[in-house]
Amino acid sequence: MGCASALQMAEGGMKSIVLDQGDLGQGASGVNAGTLSLQIKRVKLMPYAIRGHQEWESMGDAVGFRKTGGYTLAFTDHEAELLHERMSLKAEAGAPIEFVSNSALREAEPNLADQVVAASYCAEDGYANSSLTGQFYRARLKQQGVQYREGFKLLGVEAGNDGYVIRSANTTVSARKLLFSAGAWLKSLTALMGVELPVQARVNTVSVTERLPMLTRSVIGHATGLLTMKQKANGTLLIGGGWQGRGTPEQGRGQVDTDSLRSNLALARHALPAAENARILRSWTGFEAHVPDFYPLAGKLPGYEDVFVLGCVRGGYTIGPYIGKLMGDYILERTTELPLFNPGRSFPEVVV
Amino acid sequence: MITDTDIAVIGAGPAGCNAALLAAEYDFSVVMLDEQVSPGGQVWRAKSPAILSAPETPESVAGESVRNAISQSNVTHLGGVRVWHIERSEDAFVIHYENAGVSISLSCRCLVIATGARETIQPIPGWTLPGVVGMAGATSIFKQDLIPIGSKMVVSGTGPLVFFVAAEQQRLGGEVAAIVTSNTLLDWIKALPAMLLRPGLLFRGLRWITAMYVNRIPIYWGHTVTRVEGESSVSRVEFKKISKDWTPQGQPRFIECDCVSLGSGLISAFESFQLAGISLEHNSDLGGWIPKQEQDGRTNVGGCFICGDGAGIRGSLAAETHGKLAGLSAVAFLGAKINHSIVKLRREYTRAASFGEAMSKLSIPRPGLTKLTTAKTVVCRCEGITRAEIEDEMNLGAQSTISVKSGVRAGMGPCGGKFCQTAITDLIAKTKSCPVSQIAPPTARPPLRPISVNTLAGDFDYSDLPISKPSPL
Amino acid sequence: MFQLAPNHQDDIVRTAKIRFTFDGESFLAHEGETLAAALMRAKLLHIRDAPGDESPRGVFCCMGLCQECVVQVDGKTIESCRLSVSPDLHVTSLRRQLDT
Repeated sequence: MGCASALQMAEGGMKSIVLDQGDLGQGASGVNAGTLSLQIKRVKLMPYAIRGHQEWESMGDAVGFRKTGGYTLAFTDHEAELLHERMSLKAEAGAPIEFVSNSALREAEPNLADQVVAASYCAEDGYANSSLTGQFYRARLKQQGVQYREGFKLLGVEAGNDGYVIRSANTTVSARKLLFSAGAWLKSLTALMGVELPVQARVNTVSVTERLPMLTRSVIGHATGLLTMKQKANGTLLIGGGWQGRGTPEQGRGQVDTDSLRSNLALARHALPAAENARILRSWTGFEAHVPDFYPLAGKLPGYEDVFVLGCVRGGYTIGPYIGKLMGDYILERTTELPLFNPGRSFPEVVV
Repeated sequence: MITDTDIAVIGAGPAGCNAALLAAEYDFSVVMLDEQVSPGGQVWRAKSPAILSAPETPESVAGESVRNAISQSNVTHLGGVRVWHIERSEDAFVIHYENAGVSISLSCRCLVIATGARETIQPIPGWTLPGVVGMAGATSIFKQDLIPIGSKMVVSGTGPLVFFVAAEQQRLGGEVAAIVTSNTLLDWIKALPAMLLRPGLLFRGLRWITAMYVNRIPIYWGHTVTRVEGESSVSRVEFKKISKDWTPQGQPRFIECDCVSLGSGLISAFESFQLAGISLEHNSDLGGWIPKQEQDGRTNVGGCFICGDGAGIRGSLAAETHGKLAGLSAVAFLGAKINHSIVKLRREYTRAASFGEAMSKLSIPRPGLTKLTTAKTVVCRCEGITRAEIEDEMNLGAQSTISVKSGVRAGMGPCGGKFCQTAITDLIAKTKSCPVSQIAPPTARPPLRPISVNTLAGDFDYSDLPISKPSPL
Repeated sequence: MFQLAPNHQDDIVRTAKIRFTFDGESFLAHEGETLAAALMRAKLLHIRDAPGDESPRGVFCCMGLCQECVVQVDGKTIESCRLSVSPDLHVTSLRRQLDT
């Protein structure tokens, strides 16, 4: 999101520099499962997600974009009800989602489980290769002449003569305006500015198998959203669904929780029994930030005119490149195509 | 938390066995887990059940002795199991391992990690051909299956292992076409004072070398194999003289053979340490990235202890005493009063370590050896990624092992980067003109070995799945 | 008599030989030895083709790490250096083009 904003600002003639504590695109955007599915987007965010899909499609091969179509499965009557209710609302919001018969599903995806009770389909769904996010934006920034620094561990921000001075262990950077778009690390960064934002991090688990013969061609989901699965062109099967690992962004990378992993893989096997003997090569976690109302933070940091914050976008991988552009426009003081989300709004009490 | 056992030891080599045996003497419950069916590790690897009887070797004798000790002790030995994840909590560790296709967890108050080393092999053209085996790998076949590899072998590498591999190949009825070693005779003469600490091993080594000369097997000192040739398996190797920093130079020469054993030293198998939360540090004298450690195998993670080659390459003799010391550290952590002489053990350890470190010094590749990896050489074997592809990725701006891995998939295949990461790190350091110590290895991720979906998912009925309420609409 | 470099080949006693199949072809192996060793004895080094460039691969690290020697038995993928040969073992290789 930060990179997309910087590129948009460059397009508008504003000079910027991107600073990252690690490597570019190695936070949530580099370690998530890469699913681009309108079926798992929030109703109110659908217009953003649809435009996000267009952004990814335009990036194409450079980010491993594939529009495969996606099925969401229900295995019980209760789940089928849930699926109908949720997908109908999403379709009303503009996502081209339809319900498909079991025979149509079976024809398209013969290896899926027999126990499917109901399924929905969205032709717009697909995936990108999240591992390539960093490589892609690094090249785009270079191309647009936007500076970036990797391994920049921010230690403090001070008011300068005309803006702010950002300090790391061995260097400082001065800027008139600041944009914090550090995902799960937003909370600690904005705290440096004296602003407490109610940011929390989910610790999502993702796993990948070794290369397999082709078993499925589409993005596969589950009525509850607890499964995302797709087989890449190279044959590896990527399995996610937001099962929770452990750890906090402040402690570094999260840990894989074996109970979550077991459930995640059991659900994947239930949907695609042919994957039972596939060997898992790696499981990992990524932090997904959110605030209590599960809508984005995108706008001015409360109490500041020239400090901006962007993050906590539910479905952030899909929407990121688009909302990043909007943020760039906002900083350029242009009118944004769709409204942003004021970080200064009041949030419901957090229920744990 | 009430745990399944007081102490768990991962790895049943010289370090792990000795740690487990000593800890069991203090009446703690000790479980030792190992990938091999029988204890012994790589150095004392047990014979396969296909061998009914065979002449003894120093390795088989030492191995039998430790196997007997383990079977007569109170140590619970879990053989043929594969640890795939280590979870840590406030006051315990949970080890997850695979046993015959089932994933099982084991909790412990105290964890000793003795996962040893693996070999590092500088990638050269043709090193992916069938018939090319690692030097440590060859010894594993020799010890376990007691067969020679191929009918005519070239051994090329660093340190003392080249002579052991050649001698074993011959002992088991195979032929050795030549020994090609990066070390010079002068390197060995310089190591003599340290070797005099272990006269028995020195004598054994001299006997191997004399036998090679008697049998007219050429030894090319200060040379290295630069290329392996063949269609679907090895047919010959190209080799060259090397300079003082081991840069290949001079005219290529060739040796006909049907197999090649390659090796350029050992490195710590550090992934288990990473999962346990131990930070790594770089020490080129001990094989590169090793876990940060204090005396007697203590680490920055309370209750977690390390020993053996995994803690730094010092050889099996040092590993034995290091294991004893780590075992004592573990029982002391659990509150036992120590009645062994730690001072004496430390003295023994220092002595063994100085011999091991001298051998490591002979084995550690010098910078010129990286030039063996030509632009078109496959570096990441699993994914078939060449040096040129990795360099292109760096030219696009990738500056870390993580970004190279993400960008070109180097290290993302089934081996998990175990056989390419050293070469990739060297390439990044060279491009950035910085020391290798600044290029940290990627984050370790479970499973430590490939494990099937069925094993990880276990017996799960759909109705048992803890399905939480759906995400907000 | 003192031997400088003994040859122990003939002093090793092994279990009886049994049959196993590799891609349908029958081979002999001593019961209990690793498949990696049995294939080496049969001079069958080309065990698998790499994905991508499809280059031939064989036993490499011999200790269960490199995954170069994996084969399939009953649909499960397993390293041949960690698989003991037993009666009725039927191995399917991951070679793309089977040697004719």
